[in-house]
Formats: sequence, C-alpha cells, structure tokens
Amino acid sequence: MHIETASVDSLILYFEEHICEEVLDKVQHAYHALKKLPHIINLTPSYHSILIEYDIYTHDTASLTRVIEEAIDSEPSLDAHRQGKLIEIPVDYSKGLDIERIAQLHSLTPAEVIAKHTAQTYRVYAVGFMVGFAYLAKVDDAIATARLSTPRAKVPKGSVAIAETQTAVYPEESAGGWNIIGHTEFDNYTSFEIGDRVRFIAL
Amino acid sequence: MLKVLSPGIFTTIQDLGRQGYTHLGITPSGAMDEYAHRWSQKLLADVDGNALEILLGGLTLQATALTTIAVCGADLDFCINGISKPIWQTYNIKEDDILSFKERKSGMRAYLAVKGGFSVQKYENSFSTTLKEHKGKQVKTGDTLPYHAIQSSEVKRVSDKYIPNYPTHMTLRIVLGYQHKNFSTSEKKKFFSSKYTLTPKMNRMGYTLQGEDIIPNHDSSSSDGIISEGISFGAVQIPPDGQPIILLKERQTIGGYPKMGSVLPSDCFKLSQLPIGATVKFEHISLEDAQEEMKAFYGFFD
Repeated sequence: MHIETASVDSLILYFEEHICEEVLDKVQHAYHALKKLPHIINLTPSYHSILIEYDIYTHDTASLTRVIEEAIDSEPSLDAHRQGKLIEIPVDYSKGLDIERIAQLHSLTPAEVIAKHTAQTYRVYAVGFMVGFAYLAKVDDAIATARLSTPRAKVPKGSVAIAETQTAVYPEESAGGWNIIGHTEFDNYTSFEIGDRVRFIAL
Repeated sequence: MLKVLSPGIFTTIQDLGRQGYTHLGITPSGAMDEYAHRWSQKLLADVDGNALEILLGGLTLQATALTTIAVCGADLDFCINGISKPIWQTYNIKEDDILSFKERKSGMRAYLAVKGGFSVQKYENSFSTTLKEHKGKQVKTGDTLPYHAIQSSEVKRVSDKYIPNYPTHMTLRIVLGYQHKNFSTSEKKKFFSSKYTLTPKMNRMGYTLQGEDIIPNHDSSSSDGIISEGISFGAVQIPPDGQPIILLKERQTIGGYPKMGSVLPSDCFKLSQLPIGATVKFEHISLEDAQEEMKAFYGFFD
C-alpha cells in the first residue's frame, strides 16, 4: 500500500497494480475504514486504488496520511458476511444481440454461454463511466470476448454485456463497444458499491 | 419569477456542486468559474446559493416580481431594459424589467444570481445541473425560474481590484501527482515548456488542448492506459494521442489515462473563461504553496 498526491486537495491510495479479488478485498476493506473519517469530501474507490478528496483546512497531507494508515490498520478484517451485499439481476438472454456470435466464436451453444455467465458470482471492481455503471468481474475465460472493433452508437438501457473478462449492465442508453448478451429490467443502479457481489439469473 | 424569453446558447442552474457521491459514479458538477459564482453570492450576502451559468449569451429574461440580482463573470453585454449596464454588481429589479445578455465581449460564462436563490429542485443535495445525469435541464424559452420576491436595500459593487481581466494567454499552475513519474524528464520538460492552444473540444467535462505530443515512458505499462482510478478536479490526463485534456467540473469520476498532475482549482476557474484559440502554459507549483493559495481563495469568500 502506498499513498500519493493527486491534487491540491486529494491523495490517492494504491494497492498492488493487479486486477484481482485479493486486491479488491483490500480496496473494499480500506474503503470501509475511510468512510468513517471526518472532513473527507469524496471517496472514489476503483480496482486497486481509492481517491481521497479532503478538506484542506482540517487535514494536511502528512497528518492525513498517518490518519489513513491508522484507520486501515484498526479496521476489523472483512469476514464472509461483510464481502459486500449480494445483488441478483434477472436477465432475458433471448435479447442478447451478440450471444450467437459469442457462442460461435468460442464453439459453444448459446445455452452454454448463458450457463457460464450465470454460474459465476461477480464482484463490483469499480463504478463509473456513467452513474451506476458497475464493472463486474471475472467472466469465465471460456466466454471472455474482446470489445467490438466499432462501438455501437446506441446500446439500449438494461443491456447486459461482456468486454474481455468483465461484464456490466448499461444503466441507460449510451454508445458502447461491449458485446450484448441479454437484457434486464433491473433498475436499482445506485445500489452498486465497490466489492458487492452480483449474480445473473436467466429468465 | 424570471420568464425565459430567449434561452441563450447554453444556460443552466449551478451552485458549487454535489459532493460525496463519486463512489456511485455521480460527477460533482457545479459552477465552472467559482470565482465569479462566489462573488455573485457574496454581493447578495447569500450562502450556498445558486445562479444561472450563462455561456456566451443570447439569453433574455423578464422579471415578474421585484428582486435584487447580482451579475458577475464574463462580459456578455448585460442590459436592463435594453440599456447596457456594468457587471460585478447588484441591481434592484422591478416587475416587467427585461434582463438580457446579448453577445460575448470577453470571458465565456456569466453568472446571474437572485437574492435568496432560485427556488428550483435539488438533486442529491445540490442545485447543479448535470444534463448527462438527467439532473436539471438546459434553460428553454418559456421556462419560469421562481424566486422569493425580496430586495436588498443597498446596491453593492465589487471593487475594481477584484474584477479580473480575461486574457487570451495564461499560465496554469499544476500540482504534480498521479503518474507524473511515468513521464521521462524530457517529456516533462516538453510539457512545461510548450504552449498549448484551447480547441473547440471544450465543455463542462473538460478542455482538450492542442500542442506538443506528450508520451509516457515506453517501458512503463501506462503508455496505452492504466488501471482506471479516481479523477480529481483539474487533473491533466494524457490520452494515447499525446494531447493533454484538463478535466473540470463534470469530469467522469474514474478513467484509465495516465495523468501528469492536477491544475490548481483557482486557475481552472480562470481557464473556464478563456475562448477557443487562447493559449496556456503549465508551471509547477508545490503542494504547500498550492494549499496556501486555495486556503486564501476560499477564506476570502467565507
């Protein structure tokens, strides 16, 4: 773990430069600890880091760095019950515009693609790009699929999609290059927080 | 209320933004030029109020009740009942008065505040409009902007020494941070010695500059992107084409381009008044000096 300057009023806390569940757990643990600190304006956790925007009147970087380290050290470790809430997302895979192509690409049937996508419990590694867009990982390598070479001008709201080993739901219509494998009526996008667990349920 | 007779090019309600929601991907938003916005509040002795952010003019409003207004920021040929009026001051307005911002003379964004603020909806604790998040709307013809009909007794004016001139060249002071170590000494030297031009790619999210390409170290993993991470106000990101982008009030909350550091907020506020074609240079400022400067800035308005 190391802490660096990001701007006049923000520090950034980094863990190991890897996208994996072990690092995510550290980010989530630190995020829980930092949420309790006073005079913090914004916390932005993401994959292996947390951006910490603070009140420059009450904190200076040297003392805040110590406060952050102490808070993380004294935060109880994450146990199984605190690995984030479980969010279940019902998916209509018959509306997956790219599911046939993904199946062919990996020499699978669409039913096998669906089985592999619903078999995993995913974790929220980051929220961003747009409000409530949660980057979920890790998709089974057997169905991991590169982004479209030409992004679609319009990806419908509620599209469930795959890019490499990440999956996500589009919280609203947007341009996008992810492969669409289904559609959901799920609409509680602001409930996604770092570390949460997500399962997709085939309708 | 103020009735909108003509909406202008891009007019929105802004306060100082919504804080505490970036973990959900919600951008802070808020007034692009806090200096002018904060003066509009100070003149009216209002706190945490809102104002119209008026880009480039074309806005005409009609008052349906008395109020006191403050107008600060860009000179967009502000008129009351067709007569040009100086800005950076308050005016007592009566029913049927016509307020207009005809065209840009200098600066980019003017702020019009009414005593007590516009009584419009808050989203997550803030009046700030963010179109991409469906929070508030761009002002349109026929809109009505309600307020409580109260007037200040005395007219107040910003003294001349505090009224800025908006230049066509400025130096942006930058706190080094984030991935600055991933840029070689020669690339950093190029970055800090080059002149960059403001392009038409400028909006409330950020400003794309044009000038010398800046390339991260080839041996670092960051040349074609980094693991996405939180983006601070004023962050200078370097996408693969090497042309810096300064991220401002409606920036995305996370992103995966390497960053040199972050421009001092007070310089970002001035930057938001510069037109396409204006030029900027970057200069390093220490974190200590930067914090002193920003404490003085905010302290002045407290």
